[in-house]
Amino acid sequence: MQSKRLGWILLAPTLVILFFFGVLPFIYVVYVSFHSWNPFAVNPDMVFNGADNFRKIVFDSAFLNSVGVTVMFVFFAVLSELIIGYFLAQAFMRDFPGKAIFRTIHTLPLIMAPIIVGSVWKLMTTPSIGIIPHYLDEWFGISMNIGTSAPAAFATIVIMDIWHWTPLVTLTLIAALVSLPQDPFEQAQIDGAGKRQIFWHITLPMIAPAVVATVFIRLMDALRTVDEVWMLTGGGPGSATRFVGVHIFKEVFPKTNYGYGSTISVIVLYLTIVSCWLLYVTMLAPRNKKD
Amino acid sequence: MSDHPEEPLISALLEEKDAPKTNDTPNGFLPIETNWFDRLFLSVVIWIALSLFWFRFIEPLGLSIWIANASAAALAFIIIKKG
Repeated sequence: MQSKRLGWILLAPTLVILFFFGVLPFIYVVYVSFHSWNPFAVNPDMVFNGADNFRKIVFDSAFLNSVGVTVMFVFFAVLSELIIGYFLAQAFMRDFPGKAIFRTIHTLPLIMAPIIVGSVWKLMTTPSIGIIPHYLDEWFGISMNIGTSAPAAFATIVIMDIWHWTPLVTLTLIAALVSLPQDPFEQAQIDGAGKRQIFWHITLPMIAPAVVATVFIRLMDALRTVDEVWMLTGGGPGSATRFVGVHIFKEVFPKTNYGYGSTISVIVLYLTIVSCWLLYVTMLAPRNKKD
Repeated sequence: MSDHPEEPLISALLEEKDAPKTNDTPNGFLPIETNWFDRLFLSVVIWIALSLFWFRFIEPLGLSIWIANASAAALAFIIIKKG
């Protein structure tokens, strides 16, 4: 009983902070999402409009397009980060000359603020001054302009995200791989299992919780990407890179449409929670049940 | 690879001793093991999805959203009680 009370006392500061900075703003956003509210309009009052915002959102082609673009971005970025991150983690498990320096350099993107990453990549990809269009033109004769080509802009953002966040995946997977016991691997080798079999039947199931946790973090982050994209393309050309985060930003700040912006935020939160829950149910729940 | 002994932490043992007994075998119709909060969560998720679907495809045909709400509430009751 004493330890339980001590536990609650120790948890109290976190719970209080979480309530004021997490739960309360969320409740407020849900409340605003049922209102029409433009504080800079002629009538700045919040007007209750029932579910009209939600009725509007399912027909909003700009929003539906932004969801599609975001899902594509999340799929390509997170999958690539997982694959590259796994291979890098495996590489760091071995010894090679300059490993410590390489590992330090490889984690440098993580300490950069997304807005800085966006501006650096903008400099690198701007035609006529950027290093990437310059060498693409000189070596392969490809002219790259992310201001006019939608596929180029989208691909650049995916590559930028991979560059920025793969180190996080690598670090998590290194931690998972280091903590694995050696016995199952030795037994599998004695039994004549190949590298592929060892990966699919031993390594992957054992690091699955770490993989899922990493995917959760990256999925939630990628679904709310704004600053890098805002800096690099501003959502363009057209709406090719207008991710939901950028869409919410454009709805809330330039248009000052707070009610509808809140509705979009609630729906995006809903989609994020549902995708994470589905991932958990399909990947970890059967495993826990088996245990 | 790890040199740690296999013994569990004392705090974990105490936690386990104090923990309420749970029913490990799922006996509801849902294919996954759930507690009442999971079922409540699932009901809310279905309710929102059904409402959005209704707004997009059914309401333009003239059927009120309250039908969707009533169906979602009935479904939620069944899921929470028997899921």
